[in-house]
Amino acid sequence: MIGAIRLFAAAFLLLSIVFVYVSLRQKYRCRRELEAEFDAKAHPDTSEMERDAYIEAGLTEYESSLRRKLIFGIYIVPLCGVAVMIYVTNFM
Amino acid sequence: MHYVKWTLMAVVTLLAFSFLHYTLPQNDVVRIADTYEKRVDPGENSWFWAAPDAGNANVANRDVFFVQTIQQNNKPMVYRNEDTGWGWPPYFKFDTSNLQTEAADLKSVKDTPQWVQIRHYGWRNEFLSIYPNAVAVKAVDGPDVRIIPWFNIIFLILLALIALRIYRSIQRFRARRIDPLLEDVGEAFEAAGDHAEAAQDRASGLWGRFTAWLRTWRAK
Repeated sequence: MIGAIRLFAAAFLLLSIVFVYVSLRQKYRCRRELEAEFDAKAHPDTSEMERDAYIEAGLTEYESSLRRKLIFGIYIVPLCGVAVMIYVTNFM
Repeated sequence: MHYVKWTLMAVVTLLAFSFLHYTLPQNDVVRIADTYEKRVDPGENSWFWAAPDAGNANVANRDVFFVQTIQQNNKPMVYRNEDTGWGWPPYFKFDTSNLQTEAADLKSVKDTPQWVQIRHYGWRNEFLSIYPNAVAVKAVDGPDVRIIPWFNIIFLILLALIALRIYRSIQRFRARRIDPLLEDVGEAFEAAGDHAEAAQDRASGLWGRFTAWLRTWRAK
């Protein structure tokens, strides 16, 4: 059992690093997209505040989007892989 | 420098290939002649032995199951049968004893062969006394069944895609951050080179004048 705990602890640590990196990157990318979107369709005389508000609203929407939730696949996919591997090797 | 770079790349490629060749599953179609169990004290070959049965104490020496088989070319192949447990390589094999039972059940003699497909990883090497680790056995109809290694196909494609992706982003990073830096360095070097050249010109001018002065003596 100690082996299992060690494996899962190490995997959790490693995947957490990947998770944090990917989520930060996705958020940054989302912000960039929102900025480009706003700049493309806004009049040149709209204020900086409106731009900030637009981006803020977009980011709040992103917080609850499927795209953000999909990042949890970083934990779920390897876990499923291990489960499938255990089944295939030992019980099939 | 060119040779160093290529040698290094060749070594890395060879290591990566050997690593994958050792770790990824392969299938053999063989006939099981017998099974046995032997005490093993892994020494300098301990890299090539897996773990004791999951849950047991992790002592250095232990009994290991072996499966003796005859290949289609009538040459022998001996497999070890060990748990990999929660360790490396990640086969998560815990059913060593069950596998040994199945293997023993599929034993056959030369005249009435029962061909079996053995999934395994690892290498057989007589000089190091290392054996491939059997992961699964299955009875098959004949020696020439077609086995498509789906797992390896999918795994290697995914690996290639990931490697390509990393290579691309490194390239992009280089183009964005490192190349401009190198250009700056190059310009600095060029400026320094111009400086040196000018100094050389001056020196050759001086030296030229000096030798010219010497020549004025020789004529007399």
